[in-house]
Amino acid sequence: MSDPLLVAEHVTKTFASGAHTVRAVDDVSLAIEPGETLGLVGETGCGKSTLARCVARLYPLSGGSVQFDGHDISSLSSRRMRPYRREMQVIFQDPYGSLNPRRRVGSIIGDGLAIHRVGDGAERRKQVQHLMEVVGLNPEHYNRFPADFSGGQRQRIGVARALALRPKLIICDEPVSALDVSIQAQVINLLLDLQSEFRLTYLFITHDLSIVRHVSSRIAVMYLGRIVETGTVEDLFTTSRHPYTRALLSAVPPADPDAADSRQHVVLPGDLPSPVNPPSGCPFHPRCPRRQDDCVATMPPLEPVLDDDPEHLTACLHPLRTGEDLHPSRQDGAA
Amino acid sequence: MSLHPVVTAEQELEEVHSDVVGRGPWALAWRRLRADRVAMGSLAVVVLMVLIAVFAPVFAHITGHPPNMQYHQAGLTPDGLPKAPNSTFWLGTDDLGRDILVRIAYGARISLGVGVVATLLTVVVGVVLGLLAGFLGGFVDLVIARLVDLVLSIPFLLVAIALVSVSGPSLTITVLVISMFSWASMARIVRGQVLFLKEREFVEAARSLGASDLRIMFVDVLPNVLAPVIVYTTLLIPVVIIVQATLSFLGLGLPAPAADWGGMISEAQNYYTVAWWFVLFPSLALLITTIAFNLLGDGVRDAVDPRIDRLVRPR
Repeated sequence: MSDPLLVAEHVTKTFASGAHTVRAVDDVSLAIEPGETLGLVGETGCGKSTLARCVARLYPLSGGSVQFDGHDISSLSSRRMRPYRREMQVIFQDPYGSLNPRRRVGSIIGDGLAIHRVGDGAERRKQVQHLMEVVGLNPEHYNRFPADFSGGQRQRIGVARALALRPKLIICDEPVSALDVSIQAQVINLLLDLQSEFRLTYLFITHDLSIVRHVSSRIAVMYLGRIVETGTVEDLFTTSRHPYTRALLSAVPPADPDAADSRQHVVLPGDLPSPVNPPSGCPFHPRCPRRQDDCVATMPPLEPVLDDDPEHLTACLHPLRTGEDLHPSRQDGAA
Repeated sequence: MSLHPVVTAEQELEEVHSDVVGRGPWALAWRRLRADRVAMGSLAVVVLMVLIAVFAPVFAHITGHPPNMQYHQAGLTPDGLPKAPNSTFWLGTDDLGRDILVRIAYGARISLGVGVVATLLTVVVGVVLGLLAGFLGGFVDLVIARLVDLVLSIPFLLVAIALVSVSGPSLTITVLVISMFSWASMARIVRGQVLFLKEREFVEAARSLGASDLRIMFVDVLPNVLAPVIVYTTLLIPVVIIVQATLSFLGLGLPAPAADWGGMISEAQNYYTVAWWFVLFPSLALLITTIAFNLLGDGVRDAVDPRIDRLVRPR
């Protein structure tokens, strides 16, 4: 296996909120191999986007380190960070907020080229128009403003901007969640086409599990700022170990509605706890149908469980065995 | 414009979309401004005033009266009082027998000149400091914000009078005094806008591309604060003109014999019972100019309304 393109080790991000400290990302480690897509899933507010912004060095880290292509970038000044910015781009969630309404599309897409002084004006314009074609926009619309485009087209502009510097890694922060479902598929397929064409590596953040299954090679599941389970798509969709993963995946609508009976619906009680005051021990225990006494006191490490292969890690003291159902009532009887 | 009475939303939309260049927010604002009759009328008055200022020597040439020439024989009554408007002196003369029309034209140079220069200086200082405070935050913000509070808490006229009497009246000191006391509100407006804008994703996007703080401030943030800045600027010009006239009225303007509106009104104080034209015409010039700028400012504010997708203004 080749060296990972991006390694995050024990990344922690805290925000001060008045007298409280919010641990938005808590001791997260992950690695992304060149050419793969790591899907990062979790509920709204679990810290996915914060983790992405930490990895992209848009937020300073509170702890831990990030290595890109073998170099530690976690404490570089913005000046020394610039060469890495070329290789690591971000596609943002909100196609309305992420494009400057006062700049023309050509200038938005070519912004990276201008910042890194790639070519002269005419050359940049040619490149930008080529990029617009690549992402399925009419290059003649070079001089239009973002307000003249639909949501899906705007997201294509965002994709073109991310592609302009020919990066190795693109961090997609919920790139389609603001779009209509019919448009979502177009943008997802565009991203997949671009991946094979430009040999891109994706960190793909979403809360939409059917999308993550479609695009990812590996998945990391986040809960309350921590990764609770990570493994290949097959591992997670067939033999998920963590009760949270199981509950989350049970919410994926089946592709074939007639086969829906085989699924087991799990409805988790309660809401995502506040990261200001996280639960003791396993952060999931207040909502976990398999909770036992030790879950309240002990924070489970992220490690292979139940003779899983070393790529499949789970942070659970009482992981689900293969084929075992997540069934609260039976668990009560056994306890 | 009046030949095209009603433009429907559909027609405008069609136009926007058949045009590959794309109408920017500014083009749309200009288009709305052009449809605003009051604003365009005011703009015409402003342009007229500018022309009067620029071509002030032409007035002197036509009438044959230099602005500071005192006509003790022709320009004064036998009693030594100002002469009413007549065929030689179209708007009458002042207490020294000078032509009021010519002096108003030359006064327009001072009023508009100070108005524009002091406003521009105010805008540049206010925008830059507001940008820095809002964008950089922290210590920079603290210092600038306290400075704003300080300036806004100083009684302007008192300090202005003190400063002018210390340094002696001159055009430069007038401009500096006015700018020194006006930048704070501008900085405050810009700072507020920047605080909101810097949390937008496009700023984060620029940062992820590797843009420097300076580039983000001036390329990404500045164009987005220009709308309120332009509105405030248009509305600031008449205020500055009045302040300049006030300073002159109080004897803190230009040294005599320079012609400026505030000074003329001041000189006319003692004669208003016997020479109505002496006080009326300079006051009218001041009034018309400031009203025109204010109405134009209102129009600009409507035109660059943040709701930039609104194509047709309700009438």
